[in-house]
Amino acid sequence: MKQRAFFVLAFTLSLILLFIGPLSAKEIKTLSQFPMSGPVGSLPEFGWGFIDGMNWVNNEGGGVNGKKIKWFLEDMRYSPKVEIANFNKYCAEHSPDEFLIATGYITGGLKPLIDKVNKEQKIPWLDGSYSAEIFGPDGGPIKYPYYYSLGATYGDQLKILLKWIKENYKGKGDPKVGLVYSPTAWGRDGLAEARAYAKKKGINIVAEIEYPYSATSATDECMQLRKAKAQYVIYHGYSGASGCTAIFFKTAKKILKRAQLMGTHYTTGRMPILVAQDAYDGYVGVATRPFCDAVPRAKTPMDNKMVKMAHDFAKKYRPEEYKKGLRGGGIKDMFLYMDGMTYAFLLQKALIEADNAGDLSREGVKKALDNLVWDFNGMFGGKTFSYKSHTIPMLQIFKAQVKLVDYKGKKVPMGAVVPITDWINVDEVKW
Amino acid sequence: MLSIENLRVVYHDVISVLNGISVTVNDGEILIIIGANGAGKTTLLRSVAGMIDFYDGDIIDGDIKMNDESIKGLDATDIMKQFGLTYVIEDRPVFWYLTIEENLGAASFSRWDKKVKTDMEDVYGLFPVLGKLKHRKAGYASGGEQQMLAIGMALMTKPRMLLLDEPSLGLAPIITEELFSIISQLNQTGITIILVEQNAHAALDIGTRGYVMETGRIVLDGNARELLENEDVREFYLGSGKKERKSYRDAKRYKRRKRWL
Amino acid sequence: MVDFIQALGSGILVGLVYALLGLSIVIIYRASEAFNFAIGEFLVIGSFLFYIFFFDLGLPLLIALPLGLVAAGLVGALVERLTIKPLLGRSPLSMTIITLGLGFFLRACVQLIFGSHSYSFFLELPDITQEYGDLLFLSDPIWAGMLSLCTFGLIIFLLFRTRWGLAIRATSENQAKAMAFGIDARFILLIVWAISAACIAIAGIMISNFGALSSMSAIVGLRAIPVVLIGGMDSIGGALIGGIIVGVCESLAGAYIEPLGLIGFKDVAPYLLLLIVLLIRPYGLFGEVRIERV
Ligand SMILES: Nc1ncnc2c1ncn2[C@@H]1O[C@H](COP(=O)(O)OP(=O)(O)OP(=O)(O)O)[C@@H](O)[C@H]1O
Ligand SMILES: [Mg+2]
Repeated sequence: MKQRAFFVLAFTLSLILLFIGPLSAKEIKTLSQFPMSGPVGSLPEFGWGFIDGMNWVNNEGGGVNGKKIKWFLEDMRYSPKVEIANFNKYCAEHSPDEFLIATGYITGGLKPLIDKVNKEQKIPWLDGSYSAEIFGPDGGPIKYPYYYSLGATYGDQLKILLKWIKENYKGKGDPKVGLVYSPTAWGRDGLAEARAYAKKKGINIVAEIEYPYSATSATDECMQLRKAKAQYVIYHGYSGASGCTAIFFKTAKKILKRAQLMGTHYTTGRMPILVAQDAYDGYVGVATRPFCDAVPRAKTPMDNKMVKMAHDFAKKYRPEEYKKGLRGGGIKDMFLYMDGMTYAFLLQKALIEADNAGDLSREGVKKALDNLVWDFNGMFGGKTFSYKSHTIPMLQIFKAQVKLVDYKGKKVPMGAVVPITDWINVDEVKW
Repeated sequence: MLSIENLRVVYHDVISVLNGISVTVNDGEILIIIGANGAGKTTLLRSVAGMIDFYDGDIIDGDIKMNDESIKGLDATDIMKQFGLTYVIEDRPVFWYLTIEENLGAASFSRWDKKVKTDMEDVYGLFPVLGKLKHRKAGYASGGEQQMLAIGMALMTKPRMLLLDEPSLGLAPIITEELFSIISQLNQTGITIILVEQNAHAALDIGTRGYVMETGRIVLDGNARELLENEDVREFYLGSGKKERKSYRDAKRYKRRKRWL
Repeated sequence: MVDFIQALGSGILVGLVYALLGLSIVIIYRASEAFNFAIGEFLVIGSFLFYIFFFDLGLPLLIALPLGLVAAGLVGALVERLTIKPLLGRSPLSMTIITLGLGFFLRACVQLIFGSHSYSFFLELPDITQEYGDLLFLSDPIWAGMLSLCTFGLIIFLLFRTRWGLAIRATSENQAKAMAFGIDARFILLIVWAISAACIAIAGIMISNFGALSSMSAIVGLRAIPVVLIGGMDSIGGALIGGIIVGVCESLAGAYIEPLGLIGFKDVAPYLLLLIVLLIRPYGLFGEVRIERV
């Protein structure tokens, strides 16, 4: 008898739960995917920054007008396949009313998902890709209405560099520029745009050289540049393989004594300072984020509100990893940590704007993003940008100042990349 | 004195090859072991020399004692160093890609000292042909030369006891005779010798005692003279028995093997 | 013409480093008939050990280098003891497969300990850059070539002029025979692995000095495969020639074929050449003449 009563009780209880579930308040769900491990190396910093950012957003940050965001984080291991599979899984498991934004990080995953995201699911997708193919003039909001990038495209980066060359060139005739890039999809990305722009501006591209990340020497490449008499060399490099970046700079410094070495986002930062040391001195490069690393023995650019926030977060939530720094298991690159945070803040911002407009749905979020005008917590020196072009169109040109100093009897590199221009909004540039 | 007591050996944990063998070897003698192909003679020598585990074999029972001290489970190199026991494996155990001189050098590795050079000269004295060919790669020497080299190499290890596994393999009768006379000479200098042979007649002629092995067991033992007279031995190993063959199968089992030479 | 000499020269210099990598494969192959696929990881570990002595502890090069090499050798020996020795007497194929697995394991270890970012690597050797008109040979590759060649010579001296070398060659030919004549084959194998690991470390240090050191440097180890296949798996001289061929081939492909638009050809060229070589001589150019007596 007793048993039966128990059974009936359990049955009714589960029935009640079954019906109450959907009736309970609608949740706000997001999915974020970062390449935290995989062939190019392990970058858990993305995840750490994102987790710390999200926790702050949901607690101190007040969530979405008081509602908490139910966020999911996946490691997509640099693999488009994994990224796609994860996305499909979440689409299947969560209702479109609740699952409002997805984020990714690699160009490879964007392409196969074009139809699924933009036509089927119609879900706003934020991505770390700087692909000119997707976010440049041939792609963009009209073609891919739901894709958003968090940085200016490689095409824009290369063009800004060429523009800088044109403006700063003092010699006779046209400036001679050599391009060095990786034989990969993202390495070639933006080249067409750059070529066309160079032609228009009267810049002579004298060499285009592919430089694989399996390289053991850059002598051939540099000799070719020397033969072509390149005065400027733009190195459009890798995020991961800083080893071959070091080979290139060390060799180029010796073979191309008079050429100005330049580069795109992933070559502008801390890692080249550490590995290429004084061969990196004098480098001019463009970046989509402020320089945010605590290079040993150099001041960190704490005057930037967002950078300061990232360091405060890291100190507070990841004291161990922050202290360990480059040694195994630490935060080796603050850019990565800050970028993780960036996603958290952008998610919150978009969702709040959508909620304020009274439309907390995928479409609402898309509208909010399209109309967004924001200074991103002061990341761009107080400048605001609009998200109309679906890329955060901000770039700044930096120059590396590295010198070797004596430290405990050893020669160590000291320096930073310092801005030599203000933040440039490429949407407003008169090309 | 070497004594092997009730030795049982298996390969790969399953193939039982020696099924309880007991053999004693007195100091200073030439002990002959004869037996059909696959009887386990080589296995016996490997066990004594400490090399059985290299072939994935195991001594599962019994003991091997050198002057009442067990040498079971010792490494080959330790057995050689401590007890002066050298095993010349079957099939021309010389290094083909080394010159004859280098072969002798390699064999002296474990006892490298100032006297290696003079010992080499002694070997050349014993086998003059080796001296003539000393810069030739051993692989290009003839079968007989290689066998002599093998014995020369064994001498370089300064053995007190020599285990020879079919040294006459593939040699012409006249060379075999020469070889055996050298073995007897060596014995005279005080080296105990265990000689495994198919060439039973010649071996028993120089031997003091002998054992006959069959499928992992000792089936007959006695001094060399007695064995030479023994009916069964005569029939199966010396090829001159008076009795009719018992069966075709037996005959086949005892047929002299054809080597690849 | 200048271009050709330039490409040839830099090819030879890098090729000498490849030759050293090839040599370390060959001596292991001769001793245990196994192909060491973990060579890339050995390279990274050896370089990191040196890194610790030279950059972290700040010891002078002449002390740090031997210490680093000894440490690399010890790692090689340890690896042999733990993974190869238990397989002694078994099929060489199983050893080869073990080295494959070992490679994954070691890579994970390296990433765990050192992370996956690059470490700066400046040896600060005296500048011996050679420049004649348009010809330019940088200091670092010259040093790398010379040091590799010296190491190569040292190994050959060890193998052919010393008692230990004799024992190594004997063991390489036949472990059972060596054991029977009182050579401790197991110990010799240990030594061969240690020597091989030290050679790989030297090559790794030289190559890291071109750029930087990271767990990604392991890719360089793969260069040893065409080197030994072209030269002959069991030929020491073949490793030298094979290394130079691969280096020159890469460099010529980089200078002449890639500018035609065939990007990435540099990496493929040695394998194409390998294919041709194997068609003509299946055992590589210098595979040892087998002594056959039947
Ligand atoms: N390494 C091994 N693994 C498995 N079985 C083996 C091994 N070595 C020998 N045997 C087997 O053990 C048995 C005895 O071999 P062994 O070599 O000891 O014989 P033998 O008396 O020396 O013969 P032969 O006169 O042909 O030299 C044979 O049946 C052989 O097949
Ligand atoms: Mg036998």
